[in-house]
Amino acid sequence: MISLSARNVAVALTCVALILLPAFGSDFFVDFVATRTLMLGLAASTMVFLSAYGGMVSLAQWLIFGVAGFAVGNVVAESGRGLNLGWGPWTGVFIALVAATLLALLLGILSARSTGIYFLMLTLTYAVVGFFFFGQVTTFSGFGGITGIDPPGFFDDRPKRLYYAALVLSMLAYVGFRAIARTPFGLALQGVRDDPVRMSSLGFNVQLHRTLAFTLAGFVAGLAGVLNIWWNGQIDPTSISIGPTLDLLIIAVIGGISHLEGAWLGAFVFIGANIYLRDIPFLGSIEGLLEERLLAEERFNTVIGLLLLLIMLASPDGLAGIIARIEHGIRLAFRRSNPEGDGSSLRTNGQ
Amino acid sequence: MKPNKNRRLPSLLGVLFAIVLIAAACGGDDGDDGDASPTTAPAESTAPADDPPADDPPADDPPADDPPADDPPADDDNTIRLGIMGECEGAFGGFHEDVVAGATLALINGAGATSTSADTALDGFSGASVAGVPIELVGIGCGDDTADRAIQEVRTLVEQDGANVVIGPLSGDEGIAIANYALDNPEVTFINGISGAQDSTLAVRAPNFFRFNGDGAQWNAGIGDILYNEGGWRTAAVIADDYGFGWTSAGGFVADFCAAGGQIVSQVFPPLGTTDYSSFVQQLPNPDEVDGYFWVIGGTGTNASLEAFLNAKGDLTGDQHAGNLFFSPALADALGTDIAGAYVGGFASLPGDITTPEIEAYLASADAAWDTLSGGLTGNEPGPPSTALGFGFAYGYYTAGLAFVQALEQVGGDMSNNQAALREALSNLELQAPYGPITLDENRQAIVDTFVAQLVLDEASGEIVQQTVAIIPGVDQTFGGTYSTETDPPERDNTACEPRDLPWQGNSIPVIDGVPQR
Amino acid sequence: MTSNAAVTQIESHRSLLWLESVTVAFGGLLALSSVDLEVVEGDRLAVLGPNGAGKTTLFNAIAGDITPSEGKVLIKGVDCTALPSRLRPQLGVARTYQKTRLFPGLTVEDNLYLAQTGKQRRHLSLWRNAKDAELRAKAREAAGMVWLTDQLSAQVADLAHGQQRQLEIGIALVTEPDLIMLDEPASGLSKGERERLVELLEALPVDSTLILIEHDMEVALSVADRVVVMSDGEVVATGTPDEIRRNPLVHAIYLGEEAAS
Repeated sequence: MISLSARNVAVALTCVALILLPAFGSDFFVDFVATRTLMLGLAASTMVFLSAYGGMVSLAQWLIFGVAGFAVGNVVAESGRGLNLGWGPWTGVFIALVAATLLALLLGILSARSTGIYFLMLTLTYAVVGFFFFGQVTTFSGFGGITGIDPPGFFDDRPKRLYYAALVLSMLAYVGFRAIARTPFGLALQGVRDDPVRMSSLGFNVQLHRTLAFTLAGFVAGLAGVLNIWWNGQIDPTSISIGPTLDLLIIAVIGGISHLEGAWLGAFVFIGANIYLRDIPFLGSIEGLLEERLLAEERFNTVIGLLLLLIMLASPDGLAGIIARIEHGIRLAFRRSNPEGDGSSLRTNGQ
Repeated sequence: MKPNKNRRLPSLLGVLFAIVLIAAACGGDDGDDGDASPTTAPAESTAPADDPPADDPPADDPPADDPPADDPPADDDNTIRLGIMGECEGAFGGFHEDVVAGATLALINGAGATSTSADTALDGFSGASVAGVPIELVGIGCGDDTADRAIQEVRTLVEQDGANVVIGPLSGDEGIAIANYALDNPEVTFINGISGAQDSTLAVRAPNFFRFNGDGAQWNAGIGDILYNEGGWRTAAVIADDYGFGWTSAGGFVADFCAAGGQIVSQVFPPLGTTDYSSFVQQLPNPDEVDGYFWVIGGTGTNASLEAFLNAKGDLTGDQHAGNLFFSPALADALGTDIAGAYVGGFASLPGDITTPEIEAYLASADAAWDTLSGGLTGNEPGPPSTALGFGFAYGYYTAGLAFVQALEQVGGDMSNNQAALREALSNLELQAPYGPITLDENRQAIVDTFVAQLVLDEASGEIVQQTVAIIPGVDQTFGGTYSTETDPPERDNTACEPRDLPWQGNSIPVIDGVPQR
Repeated sequence: MTSNAAVTQIESHRSLLWLESVTVAFGGLLALSSVDLEVVEGDRLAVLGPNGAGKTTLFNAIAGDITPSEGKVLIKGVDCTALPSRLRPQLGVARTYQKTRLFPGLTVEDNLYLAQTGKQRRHLSLWRNAKDAELRAKAREAAGMVWLTDQLSAQVADLAHGQQRQLEIGIALVTEPDLIMLDEPASGLSKGERERLVELLEALPVDSTLILIEHDMEVALSVADRVVVMSDGEVVATGTPDEIRRNPLVHAIYLGEEAAS
């Protein structure tokens, strides 16, 4: 099934580079840039999965991601806010994944009838409700949040292990999501995306499909949420407020919401822009020209907004779309210069 | 989604941009020990002057005494790499310049530093050294009032820029997050900026996290005592923002008022960001059912909630109301001069009506260091530096910087042995700060002098002004045992209401016409 | 449900579809007004009528996309008046749509494969098994029936309009339905394509039952052996193609209008 397309080769090479990264990258780059890229990419990939294969743009993914974190915090922490159950970290993981999956199932059932902008608004509502829930219900958190959450001993103070955990889960999610797209379930999901009415008349339970896809994505978002809480050590309601919720959407859109690998690409650009754009002297001098601190470090949101605008203008389907188009162009040029070359580079399902 | 010829040019531009970004990412990645890639512009100004523009490719030319790159950073090495953790976005984003200026002024006054720019502190400083040890500013962190961002920024300062001393942060949740980060990073010393969550010191107790300012509860010490004994209140209702600072600040009032013998009859907690307070105000007892109300509602809510009270209960008089530091003379604009008489809780620095030679010298040093600063109190327009530095935000960072400089002086610049000597000196420091002396308790939490003020009608101008009525000396975090390492952090109403002896009861120093009667 | 007396009666003459005073009202508008219709196995029924006569509403009521406000719909003797559309393929019903409803993000083969899995109850599976090979083979066979063999791997979004109409029918046929309902299959097709369409419909197995909505009289009358004419939500005439051609009422409301346009 695995074809040797340029896309797969590029992804494989990236994976090899990522596996080797800790050998040559600085600790900061591995722990701070790469691990976060993988974690946020994993979370964003659930959004891309739902959007690209299910036609559902969900703003609830960050909520589910956060709920997994709150679950870990409540179960693991021994003092401070929350339930303070003080149970083992792996129990925390189990409960967090169950909580994330059940929440996704519930939200999926509630929203399976909605599509398009209504689905988006509905999931945005869930995100806002989640923010206030954890802010108001001090049994689970309160606005102060849960702090001092330690990862299991296996990961504690071992950032490279956490990096590899994020890498392995990201690779599994990527391969898994792509594989699912070729299964009967995945094809049916794409059918639901393309024409729910026809799907229904062909005997499919459209809402069940949407719900199950949402639940699956919720499980993966929960995995990302667990990794994140281990990395971050604390979580509070502002961690799941509307700002970070939209950040995830921005990541997905920058990367390309119809391409799975765009999730990680977008996360890398988003985090990279946050950290490194301050270093580019060119941007510093613009600041001087405008005589306003337009592009000073404290205007990260402006920068990321401009970046988003630029990418959207250049390519409505994000960076991954740009790359796909370049690949397409190269292949066309190659075929033109090589007419009897094998024309079997058939498009699969557009993903 | 077919490829479109017209899109090719923009696509190329996009790719180019991405490449620039990736190049920047890889470039930034070179600096393993942090020196090669300062995060912010200020650090560039402190780079060695003999740095030729086009050096050999490794381009790794930190100061000569730099250790090999693979050594654990900052252990035996005697360079001080200072990071300042500010807050450039979020609720307190307007005070970014203030807090950076506060820390910088301490280095100007105590370590011979010179500000790079005469009209902003954000461009950093140069020439700082204590006992012959240079202090380099490696970066200014940019928080946004959330704990998550604070962690990212402080990790950038420490793990990317190689900071071994961090001053900051500004707000409560950030402080808890950074105190927890301090636990996991014992090689770095953290001196709190002005964040006031109780947990940061009382619950987390990181041995390398020091706080030279009071927490949100401490700032309200003394006001309950005064309301009970001088205002004649026996019962009070509390209305507070429903989040960490609101709870802590309200808790400070409850602990103080109850210690004096008062009773709390009702506590109401509207969510942060509420615009219509009418339903919350309805839950409060009527003015004839309670002696007074204590308000802990910040931001735009202060006015909105008081106006809702006025509409619902029909009258609002200063002798029946008091508030934490959010109460300001500006309230009179909307509420009228009936608000005169209300007591106001304290903050880190003292109000402007108090002058002492130390305060005057401090403010003058600020005006000497810069021509103007664009601080939060002047709406981020250029204004007198002393305006910014006289306010609690900048002052908190100033005391942090001053404590650092004085402790470093005491140990002769000794940063060895995981900064053990420096930390010992910080723990035992008796800091002679402009607005009063500060010492630390065993949790490295400040024991401070705070104040109680009153809104009064200025006869001459007919306007409401804030007047300091008392200084409360030696306020510690525990409120005579109400809070301890065993108690939960303040939440909505978990502060125990019981009579107690507080160390400062009866010791308040009256202030008459701006002069403390010590 | 087989205890139902009506059912036994219907089964006795192999009735596939039985409509009993089916009424569909949209607000105050009667889209279908008390329609009675019976289709028996092997029928080739054409439904004619001007725009707005209620032809597509009739299809929607049979396929379950609309629940009638009154009356009964029985398929193979089962009362499915309120049965959701997704459960009707189990009864052997397949339909096409007047406006193409395909899965443009998938290939032709995947479209035809997918169409079968709904009925096969395989569509929740995350694994592929031996059954898949069979379904894939059928998909390719169906592609052959609608002349799309050389487009099997093409993405549906890239097909020409005529090819999409062919696939629209292919998706209905591949489920091997007992009752095929085609809603204006010839719309938007060129003359050559229409001829191929007629060829295709005439090549269907003799026992397959067909209901056809068609504006194109040539297509409709050459395929059908029975014709129903509708107007304003009512059935106004039934008969063989020849009888319908001679029916003056039909001329007045339908053929006349056609001639005039």
